[in-house]
Amino acid sequence: MIYLDNAATTPITPKVMDVLKESMDSDFANPGTIYSIGLDAKKLIDRAKEDIAIALNIPSTHKIIFTSGGSESNNLFIKGHYFPDKKVAYLGLEHPSVREPLEYFSSFGNDPFNMLKYQTQGRLDLKNISVLSDTRSKLLCLSHVNNELGTVNDPVSVYDALCENSPDTRLFMDGVQAVGIFKLSSTIWRGLSGYSVSGHKIHGPKGIGLLIYDAKLSITPIIHGGHQQDGVRSGTPPVPLIRAIAKAISIASERIDEMQEHYEFLKNRLIQGLYDLSDHIPELNIRFNSLVDDDHKRQSPSIVNFSFPPVEGEVLLHHLEAKGIFVGLGSACSASSKKPSRILLGIGLSVEETRCSLRISFSGNNTINDIDVFLEEFSIAYKNLYPTFLRMNRKN
Amino acid sequence: METRTLLIRYDEIGLKGRNRKHFENQLVKNIRYALRGIQNIKINKIHGRILGFVNLADADKCIDYLNFVPGIASISIGHSMEPDFDKIAKLGISLIQTKLQDLGQLKFCVRTRRSNKSFPSTSKEFNFEVGSRIMETLSSKGLSVDINRADFVLEVEIGPQKTIVFDNRVPGLKGLPVGSSGQVLSLLSGGIDSPVSTFKLMTRGCRVHSIFFDNRTFLGRGGYDKVIRLANILNRYQGGGKLFVIPFQDIQVAIRDHCHDMNRVVLYRRMMYRISNVLAELNNCHALVTGESVGQVASQTLKNLAAVSCVTQMSVFRPLIGMNKHEIIKDAKKIGTFDISIEAQPDCCSVFMPDHPTTRSKIKYLESDERLFPWEELMAQALASVEIINLDELNSRV
Repeated sequence: MIYLDNAATTPITPKVMDVLKESMDSDFANPGTIYSIGLDAKKLIDRAKEDIAIALNIPSTHKIIFTSGGSESNNLFIKGHYFPDKKVAYLGLEHPSVREPLEYFSSFGNDPFNMLKYQTQGRLDLKNISVLSDTRSKLLCLSHVNNELGTVNDPVSVYDALCENSPDTRLFMDGVQAVGIFKLSSTIWRGLSGYSVSGHKIHGPKGIGLLIYDAKLSITPIIHGGHQQDGVRSGTPPVPLIRAIAKAISIASERIDEMQEHYEFLKNRLIQGLYDLSDHIPELNIRFNSLVDDDHKRQSPSIVNFSFPPVEGEVLLHHLEAKGIFVGLGSACSASSKKPSRILLGIGLSVEETRCSLRISFSGNNTINDIDVFLEEFSIAYKNLYPTFLRMNRKN
Repeated sequence: METRTLLIRYDEIGLKGRNRKHFENQLVKNIRYALRGIQNIKINKIHGRILGFVNLADADKCIDYLNFVPGIASISIGHSMEPDFDKIAKLGISLIQTKLQDLGQLKFCVRTRRSNKSFPSTSKEFNFEVGSRIMETLSSKGLSVDINRADFVLEVEIGPQKTIVFDNRVPGLKGLPVGSSGQVLSLLSGGIDSPVSTFKLMTRGCRVHSIFFDNRTFLGRGGYDKVIRLANILNRYQGGGKLFVIPFQDIQVAIRDHCHDMNRVVLYRRMMYRISNVLAELNNCHALVTGESVGQVASQTLKNLAAVSCVTQMSVFRPLIGMNKHEIIKDAKKIGTFDISIEAQPDCCSVFMPDHPTTRSKIKYLESDERLFPWEELMAQALASVEIINLDELNSRV
């Protein structure tokens, strides 16, 4: 099996699995209890928080809350601090777990400010950031790394631009696709009011994520109950999952330089391979929807998104699946939907180009051979399918 | 250990003449199969009824299982006892008392049915004797008699060996017992209609095997997984069903690439019918079943239905033919397939479906299209690659 859909999810790494298994076996006590084994469980959570803070350079000004994953973290911050009457801006290219809570505000008469017209190549064009001041936006929500394109909104540049042009606007970033790919520095945290992380995108388990936010802010909980985690997120904290995400984050952070280099290598091989295929197959026209340059302030090296009209991505995906190759079709969270990707439409693709696209995303498990096999099978499938789609297009 | 008696009434079998025994035996066999997981159960056939003797703790579970057995009109959980007025009245009092305490007032009656005609009292006399004894105790507490509008009916069935007393009737699926009418083959898709048509033939006594035309190279495995789940649910109503999975992509691609666009859908269906015909004959099935309903989609016009039916000599049953979508959905919800049927299923209509499918296909043009690709060869290949899933073994797989 060749798995190239790591932006959807990643397999658990063996060292994380060891922690998870051992902890499932031994750390059963409720960390909210006052007897010794409960206190031990609480200590393990505190230790995990310390490890996470060290790995991600999170300063003491920020608080870490464990959630069920990235979607909950996004919802918790947006609804917990900005619901329903504060003006919130977003680019319009975010994951649905950012976009939909904001759009939900509209039903309370508080329309979010959509900045799609200020996007360039999938990123917020900072030249126009002063509109946030004009609209009195209290919060700007962005993806650190876009989940379909891999394009980057650099937190430091965005924060600097905000300080200069709209100092009252805070910044929240969905960091689900960024952790493990980019280093988070204390400079970055200075500008971030909130940031979300997911365990299963970095070879950790599903069902665990983080909301990291500025401790000065008050967050109204979505889940009420046992007052765990200072009442911000009730529910018995899952010690094994918490220990496992801490381990996954530590491993990912330790290997960032090595991984960036690895992803860059894979990405360049893929992009060059696709260019070569275009040269050899006259009927193949590749359009890269993600950026092909190596500037990490603009593009994640772990995601490549491209279109190849007239052949449909979904059909190609199944042809590759038959060969044991698994790739992404837009966002995994909405791939079952028949609607064209809002992100790809948002950056100016036609409906056809949107339908005729795939997302390839890497992990440390991928090799050059994976890319070469993918390229070979992609070209075979494309050549087989092209006549059919050409015929269909001519009729239309 | 306290026991209860299940009183199982037939549906249409009661109307049968000399064949009746055959139907009764099949129903008993199906009931034994449905209740095979219940410990220490005894099933007996008596005149016009089937009785089951079970531990009290298993009685409700038996009803759950019997709700999946076609051919049953209704089921009651009762007490087997002597036909003694005092004892039956005592039981009646205990059953009524709890309800009376909750409601304050209650209208009741006793209804007796005697299949043992040698019993000395008539049904009316029996009703009176038991009813008056109950009234003696409970009339002062709010109980009254109302034969036509009773809130509570105490029923007594006096048979040659057993007298059964009960206060409940759970409706059954009705129809005929599966296996009493032979085998058929149903064309099952992941949609709403074909599971309902499959179910309808089961309630007419047929054992229904299913066939699914799979195109996972283009559509992925989602449709296949969905059909397996649907077939598994449907098999609960019969047991012993098989699902035949035919790889259909090569045929679909050939039709798409070589034939007139407008005829594609009818041509796909003609191939499905031909393949189903062969598999049905090989597996001792005597008819095909489809979920078609006149005018529902372009392929289901009268002309197109005729154009697909003519490729098979076999009877084609279309139990939904005159039903509207609301009725079909209601049935699908009742049998438990609706929620799966409406799950989003990957499709690529744009690849295989024409923009303007014909609603009045002409057989001579369809045959002329079929000369443009080697359908016999492709059909043989598809049949050679059939996957056969024994649905009884499925639960360990899914």
